[in-house]
Amino acid sequence: MTEVNIVNLIKNFSGMTRPAVDNISINIRNGELIALLGPSGCGKTTILKMITGLLTPDNGDILLDKQSILSVPTEKRNVVMVFQNYLLFPYMNVNENVGFSLKMKGDDPKIINKRVQEMLELVKLPDIGERRPKQLSGGQQQRVALARALIANPRLLLLDEPLSNLDAHLRDEMRELITSIQKKLEVTCMFVTHDQEEAVLLADKIALIFDGKLQNFAEPKEFYEKPINVSAAKFFGGVNFIELNKNANYFHSSIGNITSNQTNINELNTKCIATIRPENIKISKENIYQDNFFKGKIKSVIFSGTHTRYKIVINNLNLECSLQSLGIQNIKKEDEVFVNLPKDKIWIMNE
Amino acid sequence: MGGDKTKIILSITPPLLIIILLFYGGIFYGLVQSLGYQPAIGKYEINLDAYYNILFSERYAKLFWTGLALNLWVSFVSTFLAAVLALFAALAIRKTFFGKTVCNFIYSLNLPMPHLVVAVGIIFVFSQSGLLARMLAQLNIIASPGDFPVLVKDKYGVGIILAYIWKESAFFFIILMSVLQSLGENFEELAQSLGANRWQRFRYVILPLVMPSLFSASIIVFAFSFGAYEVPALLGVIYPQMLPVMAFEFFLNPDLNARSEGMALSIIIALIVMILVIFYFWLTQTRIRKD
Ligand SMILES: Nc1ncnc2c1ncn2[C@@H]1O[C@H](COP(=O)(O)OP(=O)(O)OP(=O)(O)O)[C@@H](O)[C@H]1O
Ligand SMILES: [Mg+2]
Repeated sequence: MTEVNIVNLIKNFSGMTRPAVDNISINIRNGELIALLGPSGCGKTTILKMITGLLTPDNGDILLDKQSILSVPTEKRNVVMVFQNYLLFPYMNVNENVGFSLKMKGDDPKIINKRVQEMLELVKLPDIGERRPKQLSGGQQQRVALARALIANPRLLLLDEPLSNLDAHLRDEMRELITSIQKKLEVTCMFVTHDQEEAVLLADKIALIFDGKLQNFAEPKEFYEKPINVSAAKFFGGVNFIELNKNANYFHSSIGNITSNQTNINELNTKCIATIRPENIKISKENIYQDNFFKGKIKSVIFSGTHTRYKIVINNLNLECSLQSLGIQNIKKEDEVFVNLPKDKIWIMNE
Repeated sequence: MGGDKTKIILSITPPLLIIILLFYGGIFYGLVQSLGYQPAIGKYEINLDAYYNILFSERYAKLFWTGLALNLWVSFVSTFLAAVLALFAALAIRKTFFGKTVCNFIYSLNLPMPHLVVAVGIIFVFSQSGLLARMLAQLNIIASPGDFPVLVKDKYGVGIILAYIWKESAFFFIILMSVLQSLGENFEELAQSLGANRWQRFRYVILPLVMPSLFSASIIVFAFSFGAYEVPALLGVIYPQMLPVMAFEFFLNPDLNARSEGMALSIIIALIVMILVIFYFWLTQTRIRKD
């Protein structure tokens, strides 16, 4: 149970034109599970390594329970990192691997054995203690690595891409195991991923990072409904974007005027962008809408089981709309339709 | 597939024949001579007299057994110290770009250097009339160069050991650098985050990871230094004498009757070296199979 404060963290590498980690601040509460999400090279591993002490930040601070740990050497931080490729020691069996950190502490072998057994049961592998890492499947190796990390009750658990080396079905299983163990032990945990779906499924909160800069740190839902900018919206599968000019109480666009309920309109620049998720757009052959409706034409219809996806063009603007297949009207390609962008669902942001 | 195999066998047959002829032919010829068959001096009988003489006769046994002891001592100590030296050098400089470049250069230069040159270098630096003795005398640390300890042409083979350490540590170093490079630092970083201090990371992570390569390299180096001639010939003493030098002197002996003893000695050396090499292959093969 540890509270973590990352404050204005900066790291430069020689040979890079921008900082690898650029002034990042994140506050994590006791027992929270946080995702560091971003494309390859955005600085995720570098952040984890600074928290473990394997890299020294150029600037900023890292606090555990309000105390800076920068002067504490890695081996005394009790911040454990699970590496992407598991890194089980090949010359040790599973028991020895799991018991490694207790052995380093000089614990009594009897106590170590008991704790190792507990940990292997926790990760649901009670009977493989005598095996060598080579005799384990990828999923088993991952779980042994997790047990090895958890045995010393780390103050903070860091997981670098914990699921990326597993097949799809193992991934679901492992994801559930990680969340259940994390909640059970109430260990504060940060994990790295480049997969937004994984972040959404696993994390209490997501830190989205592009090019070393923190874009947004919020609950998963917000990234879908209220993205901070266009790239963040695109990273979470946003496809509909409308350029706007801000006026007194409405927004002007190439398809006409748009109104919104948004409360933070003062923070928006004159030039801004509206986005809306495909499932929130409504279409109809009759005009049954009050506001934010436009005349468009269906360019394509793609049926995908429970949902049907429509590509619509309004003037020169392309939008995508996704409706539940059940009970929809008979709308076909080339049909003229009325398109509604509900004003409580449209989200306007700076570029 | 079958055609490919035949082609491969056909294409490697000529060089293989030459190798077999040179190697096994040499061994066979030596073996025959060691068994006392020397038509040149009218000896056609086959017996084990030469082996018996070498191993047990009053005349040669003492020479042989002290020589063998010296051989084992020199090979063991020089191999061990060269490995340790190379390990520490590799660990110390692997993260510094400058150190790596410099050390790589020195050691790469050292690797193809003939043993003879190294032996001469050892005389130049470590003998009583050498550079080190004179420098220490100049600095008044020792009264005269003659007070410098006998490190070259000494009965414990110190000069020979120094020459082998200098030379073989280069071989170890280059192997270790490539092993460490391919391992990367992730295992150590992981161990560190699990609470291992510097010593524990060396003891429980680096050492077990490099040990297999270090051990197989040691067997090769040991076998080589066990059978090598020129360094002990230059830096050794008359008694105790290392076995390869002894064998060569038997061979040069104008008394052709001593030829059989010389060959018997050579065969014994070759046998020991071959056992080591077979052990090496067995070791590396089982490791490959395990992987
Ligand atoms: N030791 C280093 N020296 C120089 N540059 C580095 C070093 N480590 C990382 N970088 C650079 O810093 C940037 C961030 O690297 P980092 O490993 O943190 O990315 P990441 O987000 O973990 O990416 P991935 O998803 O591919 O693992 C990259 O551009 C990388 O090339
Ligand atoms: Mg990474």
